[in-house]
Amino acid sequence: MSFVEFRFLWFFLLVFIVYWAMRNNTARKVWLLLCSYAFYAAWNWKFTFLVLGSTTADYIVGLMLGRSESPTWRRFWIATSVCVNLGALVFFKYFNFFVSSASGFLAWLGLPASVNTLNIILPVGISFYTFHSMSYTIDVYRGKQRPVSNFVDLSLFVSFFPPLVAGPIVRAVYFLPQLVSGRKFSNVDVRGAVMLFLSGFIKKACIADGVAPTVDRYFAHPVNFTVASAWIGVLFYAIQIYCDFSGYTDMAIAAARLLGYQLPNNFQFPYFARNVSDFWRRWHISLSSWLRDYLYIPLGGNRGSRGFAYRNVMITMLLGGLWHGAAWTFVIWGALHGLALLIHREWIRLTEGLKWAARAMRWLAWPITIYAVCVAWIFFRAHDLDRAGTILKQFVLFRGGGNEHFHRWLLLLVGALAFIHWLNSRRWFAESWRQWPAPVFAAAYGCTFAVVLLFVPPHYTPFIYFQF
Amino acid sequence: MPVREPVSKVHVEPPAPRKPTGRKTFIWALINCAIGAAAFLITCVGLHAILPFPEIDGGVSQKFRFFAAHKDEFDTLFIGSSRIYFQISPAIFDRVTRESGLPTHSFNFGIGGMYLPESAYLLEQILNLKPRNLRWVFIEYDELQTKWSPENQTSRRALYWADWKRVSLLLRKLSDAGTAPLWLPNPAKLGDIMLRQKDEKNTRSLLAFYAGQLEKNYTNVARAADVPDYFLIRDTKERRASYLGAAGDGYVTRPNRMSPGQATAYERGLAAAMAQAGTRPLSPYTVEAYRQCAQEVRNIGAAPIFLITPSTTQINIAAESTGLAGVVMAFNNPRAYPSLFRSGVRRDGQHLTKSGAEEFTRVVAADFVELARAGGIK
Repeated sequence: MSFVEFRFLWFFLLVFIVYWAMRNNTARKVWLLLCSYAFYAAWNWKFTFLVLGSTTADYIVGLMLGRSESPTWRRFWIATSVCVNLGALVFFKYFNFFVSSASGFLAWLGLPASVNTLNIILPVGISFYTFHSMSYTIDVYRGKQRPVSNFVDLSLFVSFFPPLVAGPIVRAVYFLPQLVSGRKFSNVDVRGAVMLFLSGFIKKACIADGVAPTVDRYFAHPVNFTVASAWIGVLFYAIQIYCDFSGYTDMAIAAARLLGYQLPNNFQFPYFARNVSDFWRRWHISLSSWLRDYLYIPLGGNRGSRGFAYRNVMITMLLGGLWHGAAWTFVIWGALHGLALLIHREWIRLTEGLKWAARAMRWLAWPITIYAVCVAWIFFRAHDLDRAGTILKQFVLFRGGGNEHFHRWLLLLVGALAFIHWLNSRRWFAESWRQWPAPVFAAAYGCTFAVVLLFVPPHYTPFIYFQF
Repeated sequence: MPVREPVSKVHVEPPAPRKPTGRKTFIWALINCAIGAAAFLITCVGLHAILPFPEIDGGVSQKFRFFAAHKDEFDTLFIGSSRIYFQISPAIFDRVTRESGLPTHSFNFGIGGMYLPESAYLLEQILNLKPRNLRWVFIEYDELQTKWSPENQTSRRALYWADWKRVSLLLRKLSDAGTAPLWLPNPAKLGDIMLRQKDEKNTRSLLAFYAGQLEKNYTNVARAADVPDYFLIRDTKERRASYLGAAGDGYVTRPNRMSPGQATAYERGLAAAMAQAGTRPLSPYTVEAYRQCAQEVRNIGAAPIFLITPSTTQINIAAESTGLAGVVMAFNNPRAYPSLFRSGVRRDGQHLTKSGAEEFTRVVAADFVELARAGGIK
């Protein structure tokens, strides 16, 4: 069940009405928990046991960490949690990748091996809820979070349906305190939430799904297209992945807000970043901050020598790339971003105090950053390294390509969307709708939604991040 | 005389306005939701009423536009799948009827891959144009199709016809809920559907798919492009010829013949189909769909004629006692029509070659004239 499907609307309406009709906080939480599991079961009911298993394991680990004073035992329990969660993630997501990569490596060494890959179904959202769950046990281990004795609270934190299958990645310290006290409907910014939902819906269902056929056509056979069409294909993909992911996040945040819960913001106009470091402070903020706090800093972070810090950056970005998918293209994507981060750090270091550098970067920073991000997206989206290489030649070297082409007016569309996005970042779209009387707002909203549906394509394109 | 004391100067605060309670806020929220929902529905209905006929590929829109522009020129209409599209030549049909003293001017509205329920929807749209001179409507006769391949499910072709009339029949058929006004799904079948057992492994997905199509259709999903298409699309000569045929009558020829290997396989398949005992009636849902079609045709003063084409998959369809409110012209008996089933005139089990199509058209025209003269068409 996706947020852009009609059946989600009926599902959420039922959840919303029953939730707020209840007065008891515990009853509300149990209702949300049941609905969250039902939401997940709509994908595949068998994998609800995996979510339950991960939650149960971390519940026990949390309690045991609360009771253990001995550092050895505490390390044992946190290792158990990490192994259980990462073990499930590695098995379901990476088993076949590691097996076939190992087989390929052995063949390259001249030692062909007969390997069996398994027919493993990737549970939807496993990358997200395992990270939710691990944030709880790691924070308990660090003393930042008290162990939760209420199993319902922990279960709801792990399986809460708005961010369950594609984020944002929620931390226990952020969400668990919200479960303690009952939510008040009078505190819910209903207008803000429904407008955020509409904005997310437009981004995902109209823009992302609208450009998807062009992207799919280009990336399936890039060698057939002209260089100009290569640029259109790559830029369209940059638009698609942003609108798809941020659109989903907007809808998830809006749905949570309507139930009285706050989720962290996940995007802050990333395509206006002026360097790659800034990009990662604006793109998938919940993941980059999770990796910073639970991987980069424990590895040593910026402490130690420059080389040591750079090593930590590369490890973090490589694993961040691998988190996105079990393929070498994702690892290369992560490596490119890691490299870009290191280049940026070196540039800052080497040009400190140089006025000409600061003047140059005033104009060049943004185009260089967006270009680097688009080059990296090529690897993120390409089916394989061969096709990525073909696209790189077209996009970077302006070489190669065939005769098929997209209409050049599509570049105008890119420009128009970029301009609207820029206006939005400057808050040009006034929130005058907040002043309208409630019935007027409701009627205008209903009419607007009906008009927006005209622009939704007939085909449903799954959320890109569902595959992660 | 006592002096009245002046009024006390103690300032009394007016009572604070009562803040709405949480429950009242919630109730007002529900009322506003209802207002929003009503505005949404009214806008959807309004847009649905004013939006032009959608631009559907496969020749649907081209043929519809053409027919709309020439609707009063035709008195005979053929509608169905590729078994009509590539197999009924209006030029030959009209020549035979003219020579027999019953002149007609016919149009072939066959579309590749168009079965019930899509054909019923399109027929209704055609009849809504109120063609003044339409007298006979030949409707291809076959079972109500419930399955769509996954790649076609996401096309507009699978969406534009999904109104309540069509989708309700599909949902009834899938759940075996009967054709009476009261829906009574078969409990055993419902259990199999929920548990994905026996033959119902995909039924749940199909039920959700059709319900989703109904919602998308009535909320005008993907209709924005129809507005510029309506004003800007101009059929080129080549495009028109590709869908309307060289004569502009809707008939397109497909001359390919079978290879010897294919012919052998076809004859084996034909023998197997003929060896199957008995006939199978169409489902009550199909009969209900055709009953609705027949009524719509009669409402504009024309007569419906159901046509069973010479196809190996239709050999066992029962032509008699169908319960249909209309005459059935059946050409699905290889023994009665051997010239239409010999491999020399076949492209495959479903379709005839160009010469086979011409032969078929002549036979249909001759039988039609005979039936009309005998007063069998009402």
